[in-house]
Amino acid sequence: MSFNQDTAVKRAKEDLASRIDVQEADIKTISVAEREFPDMSLGAPADGELSAQMISSGWVITLNADNNDYEYRADKYQLRLVNFKQTNHVVVS
Amino acid sequence: MNKYNIWIHLGIAAIIIGIAALAGQIRNWESSYSTPTIGDIPDTIAEKPIAVERTNTESEPEVLVKFRPEVTAEEIQRLTAMSNDRIEDEIESVQPLYAIDDLDNSTAEDVANQYREMKDLVIYAEPNFEISLDDPSNTSPAQSNLLREDVSKVEPNDPMFGEQWALRNDGQNGGKAKADIDALKAWLKTQGSEDIVVAVLDSGVDYAHQDLVNNIWFRPDNIPAYQDDELGIVDDKYGYNADANSGDPMDQNGHGTHCAGIIGAEGNNGKGVTGVNWKVEIMPLKFMGRGGFGTTKNAIEAINYAVDRKKAGVNVRVINASWGSTQYSKALEDAIRAAGEQGILFIAAAGNNSTDNDRRPHYPSNYDLPNVISVAALDRDDALASFSNFGVKTVHIAAPGKDILSTWLNDQYREASGTSMATPQVAGVAALIVANEPKINVQDLRKRLLSSVDSLDVLKGKVENAGRLNASMALED
Repeated sequence: MSFNQDTAVKRAKEDLASRIDVQEADIKTISVAEREFPDMSLGAPADGELSAQMISSGWVITLNADNNDYEYRADKYQLRLVNFKQTNHVVVS
Repeated sequence: MNKYNIWIHLGIAAIIIGIAALAGQIRNWESSYSTPTIGDIPDTIAEKPIAVERTNTESEPEVLVKFRPEVTAEEIQRLTAMSNDRIEDEIESVQPLYAIDDLDNSTAEDVANQYREMKDLVIYAEPNFEISLDDPSNTSPAQSNLLREDVSKVEPNDPMFGEQWALRNDGQNGGKAKADIDALKAWLKTQGSEDIVVAVLDSGVDYAHQDLVNNIWFRPDNIPAYQDDELGIVDDKYGYNADANSGDPMDQNGHGTHCAGIIGAEGNNGKGVTGVNWKVEIMPLKFMGRGGFGTTKNAIEAINYAVDRKKAGVNVRVINASWGSTQYSKALEDAIRAAGEQGILFIAAAGNNSTDNDRRPHYPSNYDLPNVISVAALDRDDALASFSNFGVKTVHIAAPGKDILSTWLNDQYREASGTSMATPQVAGVAALIVANEPKINVQDLRKRLLSSVDSLDVLKGKVENAGRLNASMALED
């Protein structure tokens, strides 16, 4: 799978809906911003993960559901949920 | 003999004795001046050194003097002033080495001799014969022409070479001239060797890339296929893929291909770019997938593979590790130590969080092992790249790592930035050193890399040796 900005947002909403058990229609997109990340884990490494130390570009996607904000990060090949229950998660790679 | 003659002879004798005494005293004075001990250095200097007027084109002779460790900086200051000399620079990477300018009308050789005679204080002294291949202002027109001619012999015909500022920075795109690794001068000595194997432990390598294909390692017939107790037999024709446990380390990300090109894109082949090595053997080891990240376990598996191949007779001398995290792993540390025991240097990226690795460790660059080198990144202006981690105790050297042009997937080329890109510059120079001195051991190889640098003020307090990698200096054995 290869992401662009729109498909990354769509996939992030699907993931969040299933994680917190809400309808996708109830999830708002707060912002989508282009960002340079320090490495290829998009600055959000999962436990035990090692990543290439190359500056990489992608998007930071902020969603809101039930008055809580959730941060996703994506690039062409991956989608991550940042600091959800104190842990970074690889959603798609 | 009459009375008159006696007085004449006594007078002559007195004159001779006087001359002899004076000559002896002069020798004592000379001796005490030319071979002072620490106790002979006065606490203060009565007069300031007197400078001799020189023409604009006449530079002061400079000597490099390495003092004994017990001689303090203050004593060196007083000693040079006593000799009517001036400290031009203290070379931190080779403490206590000083560049000293003579203010009298002496030659550099005479000044060097003067310091050599101070055996109690000085380990060595030598004239600083400046050899600059790319700065004609420091040479006579005849020398300059000669140097240009020499360099022209090793300027590769790769069409994108002019954009590779890390190898030769002549100020292109607004950079600072000479803020490079001095590759051309190094290539006068060696352009690499296909006998040296550098393992690129990464996302794999596009081993079919037009600029890499001739420099990719392949398993010779006399080396048996890789066999792992748990994983079975792997036909490791072009390296190893720990992510899939296969013998196909094809890169799907591009990062490993970029690092491989920095180390050893084929030079002078009329295509694309050149690597630090024109000829070398790149062993692709894949543990990171398409996304550019992987697991600690697979990194260890790939290191184990390299160690196994070394034991089987493959001349693996360097592992390039342009990756990392902040999580410590004893198992990974042990695997890297095992590589060191097999004579393999492990060169690792310091990380890209702009943070201090002394306070917030980054691994594997922070493993305190005798075969590990941690690398920070510089930009084309000789500044520490804004993203680069640093650490005066834990980051050992800096190298160009911003806007670096190299190979990418499918015969493409791309600029990329990161300590990922600085690391293979060091790995590449390590391979050049081994090409030049095949028997050098891993400790000496590490020491050579870290001591052969251009000191940069901006790196003081940030990087252990406060220096930028210099390929040419590293080849001076």
